[in-house]
Amino acid sequence: MIQLILILAFGALCLSSLYFLARRTPRAEGGSGPLVEARQALQALRSGLLPPELIARIFARADLEYVLSEVPENVRPLFMEERKKIALSWVNQVRRQILLLRRFYLGSARSYARLSFRTEIALALDFAALLFACRALQVALYVRGPFAVPGMVETTAAVAARVCKVYEESLAFLSPAQLGALADRSAGAARL
Amino acid sequence: MNSMPRRMDVQQAAEDLRRRTLSEIPRSLDRLIYLASMRDYNTGLYYHDGLASRFTQEVACEALADCHREAFRDLVGSPLRGLVCQMEGYMDSTHTSPGEFLTAWKKLEPYRVAVPVETDPLSAEFLFSSFKIALAILEARLRPAPAAPDA
Repeated sequence: MIQLILILAFGALCLSSLYFLARRTPRAEGGSGPLVEARQALQALRSGLLPPELIARIFARADLEYVLSEVPENVRPLFMEERKKIALSWVNQVRRQILLLRRFYLGSARSYARLSFRTEIALALDFAALLFACRALQVALYVRGPFAVPGMVETTAAVAARVCKVYEESLAFLSPAQLGALADRSAGAARL
Repeated sequence: MNSMPRRMDVQQAAEDLRRRTLSEIPRSLDRLIYLASMRDYNTGLYYHDGLASRFTQEVACEALADCHREAFRDLVGSPLRGLVCQMEGYMDSTHTSPGEFLTAWKKLEPYRVAVPVETDPLSAEFLFSSFKIALAILEARLRPAPAAPDA
């Protein structure tokens, strides 16, 4: 009897999964919204959040040393508070953009991007590692301050940059130049 | 008139601006404020009669925007020590009393309207935060905190 119930439950689960898969809206496959969102997330990461010089400035130890050695003591708390605020804002924004990219990856990447199975697995692992790293970094920055975990900052930025690179490469065929080339090719084929 | 200026013309105009005008303004902070003052706050467009007469209004506008972004990048990349020095130099150059200057800058935060448009928000926030710290440092030097009374 228990076996029958288990088999029926499994069957119902399979049927409901099939139902939801069949009912999936075509938005994910056809709409350009997720693609635009993913491109904006990539742009924000590439130009706003991951440039090494900006990261180096936010977490600059030289500034801390300057404040500790040459600045009146009553300014130190303000400095620490301001840098902590910026560091937390940085990691929050990186996490938010990565979540947008992951949403695109889970929802509609297959419709647009040429991702091999290996790339998909690598991306999935990178996403998981990155989101975990962002959370850990948030906690570390909150508890220990912006200058205590330079290694974690470097690792998070490096993994985020790797994810961006894989995404850019997989979506590169949608760049205007390549779209033009594709159009020329299809026009040539039509003439033949 | 061509509404999209050619990149080469913009680069030439920017070079001209650097050579003739910006070379006379050594600090990035002064350049940032000068270039922001060339911008019409209602339209976001930059105006410079001399540059526009040598090139075109559109080219001059793009060149000024390029140089403004450059000054902003320089400031964001400047270490805190450098930023404090720049602010001190700028404060001296205004010929107002340091106390008045610091009070006005802390209250009005004029640097918030001096950043180029389409600046990424984190860089802008970082620069504003650094300005805030630099102002606090200058103020602490100007008005040292009273020593704690002996027990």
